Amino acid sequence: MKLDSKIPAGPLAEKWTNYKASQKLVNPANKRKLDIIVVGTGLAGASAAASLGAMGFNVDIFCIQDSPRRAHSIAAQGGINAAKNYQNDGDSVERLFRDTIKGGDYRAREANVYRLAEVSGAIIDQCVAQGVPFARDYGGLLDNRSFGGAQVSRTFYAKGQTGQQLLLGAYGALSREIARGTVKLHTRCEMMDLVVVDGRARGIIVRNLVTGDLERYAAHAVVLATGGYGNLYYLSTNAMNSNGSAAWVCHRKGAAFANPCYVQIHPTCIPVHGDYQSKLTLMSESLRNDGRIWVPKKKEDAESIRAGKLKPTEIPEENRDYYLERRYPAFGNLVPRDVASRAAKERCDAGYGVGTGFAVYLDFADAIQRLGKDVVEQKYGNLFQMYQKITDENPYETPMMIYPAIHYTMGGLWVDYELQTTISGLFAAGEANFSDHGANRLGASALMQGLADGYFVLPYTMQNYLADQIYVGKISATTPEFDAAEAAVKQRIENLMKNSALRQAQGPASLKTVDHFHKALGKIMWEYCGMARHTESLTKAKKLVSELENEFWKSVFIPGNANEFNPELEKAYRLEDYFELAQLVIDDAMHREESCGGHFRTEHQTQDGETLRDDERFMYVAAWEYQGHGQPETMEKEPLVYEHIQIAKRNYK
Amino acid sequence: MNLPKIHSISKKILVGALGAFLSFFLLFHASANLLILRHDGGEWYNAFCHFMGTYLIVKVMEIGLIAALLLHVVLAIWLAVTNKMARPKGYHKPQRSKTHTGSKLQVWTGILIFACLIMHFTDFYFVKIGLVKGKYLAKTEDVVALKTTQPDAFNYAEQHGEYSAKENWLTNFDKEDKAVLEAAGLEVEPDFYHQAREKFKVLHIIIAYLVFFTVVWFHLRHGFAAVFQTFGLYNYKYGKAIEVLGQIYTWVVCLMFAVVVIGVYFGL
Amino acid sequence: MKFTLHIWRQENARAKGHFETYPLEGISPDCSFLEMLDILNEQLINDHIAHPVCFDNDCREGICGMCGLYINGRPHGNDDGITTCQLHMRKFHDGDDIWIEPWRAKPFPVIRDLVVDRSAFDKIIQAGGYISTTTGGVPDANTIPIPKHKADMAMDAASCIGCGACVAACKNASAMLFVGAKVSHLALLPQGQIEAADRVHKMVCKMDELGFGSCTNTYACEAECPKLIKRQNISRLNRQWIGALFGRDRK
Repeated sequence: MKLDSKIPAGPLAEKWTNYKASQKLVNPANKRKLDIIVVGTGLAGASAAASLGAMGFNVDIFCIQDSPRRAHSIAAQGGINAAKNYQNDGDSVERLFRDTIKGGDYRAREANVYRLAEVSGAIIDQCVAQGVPFARDYGGLLDNRSFGGAQVSRTFYAKGQTGQQLLLGAYGALSREIARGTVKLHTRCEMMDLVVVDGRARGIIVRNLVTGDLERYAAHAVVLATGGYGNLYYLSTNAMNSNGSAAWVCHRKGAAFANPCYVQIHPTCIPVHGDYQSKLTLMSESLRNDGRIWVPKKKEDAESIRAGKLKPTEIPEENRDYYLERRYPAFGNLVPRDVASRAAKERCDAGYGVGTGFAVYLDFADAIQRLGKDVVEQKYGNLFQMYQKITDENPYETPMMIYPAIHYTMGGLWVDYELQTTISGLFAAGEANFSDHGANRLGASALMQGLADGYFVLPYTMQNYLADQIYVGKISATTPEFDAAEAAVKQRIENLMKNSALRQAQGPASLKTVDHFHKALGKIMWEYCGMARHTESLTKAKKLVSELENEFWKSVFIPGNANEFNPELEKAYRLEDYFELAQLVIDDAMHREESCGGHFRTEHQTQDGETLRDDERFMYVAAWEYQGHGQPETMEKEPLVYEHIQIAKRNYK
Repeated sequence: MNLPKIHSISKKILVGALGAFLSFFLLFHASANLLILRHDGGEWYNAFCHFMGTYLIVKVMEIGLIAALLLHVVLAIWLAVTNKMARPKGYHKPQRSKTHTGSKLQVWTGILIFACLIMHFTDFYFVKIGLVKGKYLAKTEDVVALKTTQPDAFNYAEQHGEYSAKENWLTNFDKEDKAVLEAAGLEVEPDFYHQAREKFKVLHIIIAYLVFFTVVWFHLRHGFAAVFQTFGLYNYKYGKAIEVLGQIYTWVVCLMFAVVVIGVYFGL
Repeated sequence: MKFTLHIWRQENARAKGHFETYPLEGISPDCSFLEMLDILNEQLINDHIAHPVCFDNDCREGICGMCGLYINGRPHGNDDGITTCQLHMRKFHDGDDIWIEPWRAKPFPVIRDLVVDRSAFDKIIQAGGYISTTTGGVPDANTIPIPKHKADMAMDAASCIGCGACVAACKNASAMLFVGAKVSHLALLPQGQIEAADRVHKMVCKMDELGFGSCTNTYACEAECPKLIKRQNISRLNRQWIGALFGRDRK
């Protein structure tokens, strides 16, 4: 495997312009002859399919849910960044670029990040043209708020439902193309395998989730926009059906997987409260604009609160520890997510946690006093309501309890500047690629990246790839490669089902559900490869995951059969992939003997507990290549070259 | 048979428009009814009825009214049937959402109103078109004209009839009188004043009518605000006002009807 | 807590379907409704009693619109302004009987158990529920100023999650609130004005064609909408429809 990031020549600010000026194009009449498969209908997938369809390509788009609008982009709350400088507070493309690189702890590719910042303004224009109802001020112009890791207000938002509105905008554009016939929609279809013909991605095998039938689709290029693998940890802010399998089957077919250990932990989620819990709910980062985070200053206060003897409102101001404001006076409550998460963990581990011991307060009393309840309600009303419905506590009266939770995965399929993976013709967009965020993503940047990839990057770079594909003609789905891929998928499903049938015959003793194993896997990963990692915990995790996988094959039970609507089977094959993925995440975390962004090795920290990078040894992207089940993967390095930016210690103090 | 294609919203707008027309008529009808409460021997009320019965434009409107009523019913039932078809399999547990009950009752109150209208028409309207017999009256000047030509008939009329307050009408003839007078060439019209006063003296009839008005109340109460909604006039600004206006309108119309019926019974 | 569940079981679209009763014990009041069903399914699988109960769900935070169960006579259960996944067991009494049914409407056929096919909603949107833009070549975002109150109203209408509770709640299985919300969202914005007349016409025609009922102003939709979308949006839809019928700006 040879990694070629294909970064165009020239000064940073001109790279993208130069690329566009010299890339190959496909003429309109030929676009009709080219087929593209897009997997996933989130921001990246829907916007890519809509854009490519509008350009005239034949697009087939797939999603596992009943409608494209269900994709988990819909759950993004806070906002989307763009370097518009509408607030005249000193924002610029350069500033957004710098913030993003710094936020990612100098582990992102300069050229990609610059391009992202460069197209960010166009995204807002595009969305407004589509009718996305962004918040406005009384003059009718767009409003902004600030987010973690930035000292300007560049975040555009639509109440606490920005992701929803952006996704519905893209869904609208997609729907238009579906109506025009340029895009064909396939819902409740799950990608089971990638078909590679002569080294190029030429199609996919999907399982129809309603009938269980396997279907083949052939195309000149495949776009993967299937999101991240955060559900590896079972409890995360991801949707129940979000999974890493589509990316993983591509990895098995030869696509390199980059930086898998970079997992983002979001500081403001509703804490875990029971074993039966199926997911964690995010409370938007925007809450940190006005909310203040604290724990009791005295341990005995914390203990009394945990025992239910003391209420948080009874703790006087001088006995509260606003630890973020204390440790990071410059950014205060608006430090990046990884920093805020670790700080919360640090306090809780030291015994100052509230609730179950794994929670801190997010307090709005100050904001309510300063702005009035009405203003707070207008800004955050729906989040407060959501909190109240879940916890049965009124956040207007008592502080919210929050704790970090798995939220986003910066790692993903390795892609070059064109967003092409190491398999020709296979592109990855949005969270599915290893993305532009380095080791940590700033708030409100995921939406920006997803839409940048879909609207403004892929429509260009894919043409460059497709330009010579007009000569190959229609791709046939009846070639031996398709036969083999379908047979392999069939075999895989049969393996899972066959064991279950046997087990059912043996009787109910010692049978376990898929979820049982998924929960166990999640616990291992969270415990030993979560917010803080060290050599021993990772070694332990590796062993435990292997044992769990063996146990899974021995005693998992999947009811029903493969030829029907069978959610248990879906969960099972996704979990099967997670076992392999977990090993890779652990290996990657093990090999990266430094702390950066979301990856925190306790062996490598400064005296005051901040991340300690090792730029000498680890300033590279780790791209892993699959070597077969149970085999250690091989790693290729893509060195990160910073020509434009001055590398510094990441400091938010 | 292929039904003409009318989009669902258009159908509703038609039902609403016809309903609005019918409810304006109700206000008109109810206000006119108040004249029955005058102890004038039917002077004013019958003058009003005479007016309604003679002018061409009013007669055209009358046909229009009946057509509107029938169309309102047909369209509403058509909608109800298609609406039923939209859920071929229903729920096991009955609906417990907070809703406007008036709407759910609307079809049924509509059907009840239709049934009550048959009673009402039998009591009054059919007298006019000669389908049933009732009370009759004649213009005093017509009767006086008989005095010289047919004194018998004139005497008969004076004996069997009653003069209204200003003696414009000779009223309160029954169906035998009508035959006699018509044989004499006299033009008789229905005497709705006495017809009403006779009917509303009977307890079971006024109970039936009060039930009728209650049903109308339900139908109107929902219908009024619904018309605004269907016409797209219900909005954040005036929503509440429209509802209040609808309540007032409904109460006024129904109370006016009820006052007449109850008033007559208690001899007002 | 302890419950007796009565759940609609239907093996596939063609099967007949029936209610099945399952007793369930030891449920925490802090458990969400779907987590309660997870626990039931875990038991069903462990005990080999039956295939687990299928129900659609995804984000479990009330925004994706995937979940939707008709619980004891109310879509999304006995609480206002929430989706099924946001319903918690503390809203029930210990020992309650809980009847769980799928959405019932002709355009929403049952796929399995409590899972229905809502692609009819996608088809309505495809008929015109968007502003026709192609990527790029649009004006700067701030060249289109929009009065704040209009933008806010548009946002309120746009917050529809497409769950179908309005259809499920409506005695006529009408999709007017869904269509009204989308038509309102776009009609309130200057960008959406250009295609407004065409849009409302196409969307309503599609809605009729798919077999949804019509609105009889019962407002069960408004009462059950998890995003509290108001009936005013239906009124606006009607207004837009009249405008489209009589306006000159439509072919």
